[in-house]
Amino acid sequence: MFLPESMSRIVIAGTKANIDKATEVLYDTEAVHLVDHTVNADEGYSIGSPREYSSKASERLLKVRSLIKELGISLKTEVKDMTVDDIKARLDSGDVESTEKTVVTAIDKRNDLKQKIDELNSLKNELELLQLLPVDLELYSGYETITSLVGTVGTDPTEALKGIDAEIFLAKIKKSDSVVAIFVKNEDRDSVSYALSGLNFKEIPVSSDAVGKPSEALAEAEAKLAETEALLEKSEAEIEGLKEKYTSFLLAAEEDLSITVEKGEIPLRIANSEYSFVVDAWVPTKNVDEVREKLTEKSDGKMYVEFLETRGRRIADSEEVESRFREPPTKLDNGPYSKEFEYALKLVNVPKYREIDPSILLGIFLPLFFGFMVGDVGYAIPFIILGAYGLNARSKEWRAIGRVLFFGGIWAFLFGLLFYGECLGMHFTGHYSETSITWEHLFGMEEGALGAFSSILYTAVHDGETHVGIGKLVEVPMLLKLSVYIGVVHLFIAFCCKFFNEYIANGFKSAFLEKGGWLFAFVGMVAFCYALAFSLFAGGDIGTTLTEEYMTPLIVGVVFLVIGLVLTIRSDGIMSVMELPGMVGNILSYTRLAAIGMSKAGMAMAFNYISFSMIFMGLGGGIIGGIVGFIVFLVCHLLIFFLAILSAGLHSLRLQFVELMSKFFEGGGKEYAPLKVVREKTFSQNAVKNNPETEV
Amino acid sequence: MVEISTGEGLIAIGAGIAVGLTGLGSGLAEKDIGAAAIGAITEDTSLFGMGMIYMVLPETIVIFGLVIAVIAIMV
Repeated sequence: MFLPESMSRIVIAGTKANIDKATEVLYDTEAVHLVDHTVNADEGYSIGSPREYSSKASERLLKVRSLIKELGISLKTEVKDMTVDDIKARLDSGDVESTEKTVVTAIDKRNDLKQKIDELNSLKNELELLQLLPVDLELYSGYETITSLVGTVGTDPTEALKGIDAEIFLAKIKKSDSVVAIFVKNEDRDSVSYALSGLNFKEIPVSSDAVGKPSEALAEAEAKLAETEALLEKSEAEIEGLKEKYTSFLLAAEEDLSITVEKGEIPLRIANSEYSFVVDAWVPTKNVDEVREKLTEKSDGKMYVEFLETRGRRIADSEEVESRFREPPTKLDNGPYSKEFEYALKLVNVPKYREIDPSILLGIFLPLFFGFMVGDVGYAIPFIILGAYGLNARSKEWRAIGRVLFFGGIWAFLFGLLFYGECLGMHFTGHYSETSITWEHLFGMEEGALGAFSSILYTAVHDGETHVGIGKLVEVPMLLKLSVYIGVVHLFIAFCCKFFNEYIANGFKSAFLEKGGWLFAFVGMVAFCYALAFSLFAGGDIGTTLTEEYMTPLIVGVVFLVIGLVLTIRSDGIMSVMELPGMVGNILSYTRLAAIGMSKAGMAMAFNYISFSMIFMGLGGGIIGGIVGFIVFLVCHLLIFFLAILSAGLHSLRLQFVELMSKFFEGGGKEYAPLKVVREKTFSQNAVKNNPETEV
Repeated sequence: MVEISTGEGLIAIGAGIAVGLTGLGSGLAEKDIGAAAIGAITEDTSLFGMGMIYMVLPETIVIFGLVIAVIAIMV
């Protein structure tokens, strides 16, 4: 539970003639983690080449993927109406190729139409300008001695063309822009062009075939445009239809072909000689016999399986072997509860084979801290409901978040009910004042009416006044102290894990000498700070407050600190002294547990004060005041609720990542990834009968 | 209006300064780390966890400020 599963190394050998069968069997076992063969690792063996069927499959996969992209199909679309046999039959009959043909034709047609529409649009724009001029289209061309220049200009060209024999037709478009048609002698063309170039002239091409009035041509172009647009719409609808028709086929084909390609490339990952292949693999120790039996049985005795070793956790166990076998893959071994916290763990890193898997610690402390910080029945219930929805969510992110919210919500409920005695920032029972509203008061009950109920609540005395439930803004020193104690326990666990990791890797003696110092130093630091802090805060001269009561922890603390220091300096060098103040920092970091509870209580108090003053007395105390007050109450508490997810959730996570895990967690392990077929879009009616040889 | 002595007022100001300045300090530190972390995460989303750890490291400073403020007021 605390360590990843024990792994064993096996070697599997067979003849090359059976490689396809062997691949199938390896995938069926779903327990074989392949160790990639490296060039020149073993004499006489080299990396193989992909199977013949795999190149055809890759080619098809490429086609299928481009079709999926062209049709805009999301890979996340859920389809589940293709059986494996079905899809294989369709692949064999060349459905990919025919689908490609249909889809590409439709898409080409659409693209042509789109281009045509673009052309018609620009023609329409030009004609719209030309129709402002009193010149028919055929009059722009067909002369021997004169040339026409048509276009738009930024300023009136009459002035600029003074002295050149030209006929100018001009029509204003807006402000200074105008459309202009200039007829000049052929020999003047260059000088006119030059003069126009300074006037922001943009030519409008007029086709020599065009005849008639521009307005008539415009009407014709518009009609054509509408017709083409209708065609485009039809074509889009056709493509949409194709998308609908082929989505499940394409997605299923994509999945099946990916699997085929992956299987076809297995020879690239294993050692091949001329006639045989050898597979190095890791399997979980508890499955070794089962795997061996399955492999021999399913391959009809044509594969030879040999057990090599079960890897121990000590570093010495891994030192002798080849580097590619040095680090076994990590298969986390968690129950259904802590399994969901692996996601949070993997945000940091995958644990190494030989180190403690902190998922279970995350599973305990993440919701606990969350609940402690929220600590309010009113927010806990929505958290529990929200979390319950997330518990069985599809994506593992939501499952992980849902779990924290659900169990965090339960803790928050327990803390809120029994420890803080609070709901929506208001105590159930106790002394009423404007800034500390109680539910008793809200429901018009007498003070102490919930007395019987309050007997199960935590009771505290502060300033000579009895409080039922902890006031987050009243009992601040007590909450701070409590947070620090929680921190001490949490950090102590962290240092124990650090010690244990070293114990696993190098044995007790080394653990004591190398990491034991930190444990001693931590305990010493805690005792030392405890004594100092309490005698300092007692007020007065340190000489008088440092009574016998605090003397013992002080002496114990100093002794432990000295032992710890000697050990750590011996193992980690003189610089480790610098890290001791960091321990105090780490412990104080846990005061955020109280601080975030305080901040939420502070906000809730202010919002309650505002909204209840509105409900009871604000705005004349009428109905409107009541309604507005109630809305303010709801909105403000919703705000606190969402802030709670952010602050309590993130800070709880931070305490695990930074304070707890950074003490002992190294990470950097390889995740155990056995060969197996994962089918999401296709399903098999009976056992998957996928023999790649029949596929192509 | 609640009457408070000059001493109490000074304590309150001191507590405010403790929280305010430490908050500023962590803000300044987190600004750069946050920008770098977001940059790294856009390149490779698996760096989220590490990014978050580095991002929240300076937050402890403001917690120290808060502790000092609480001690100043309450003790």
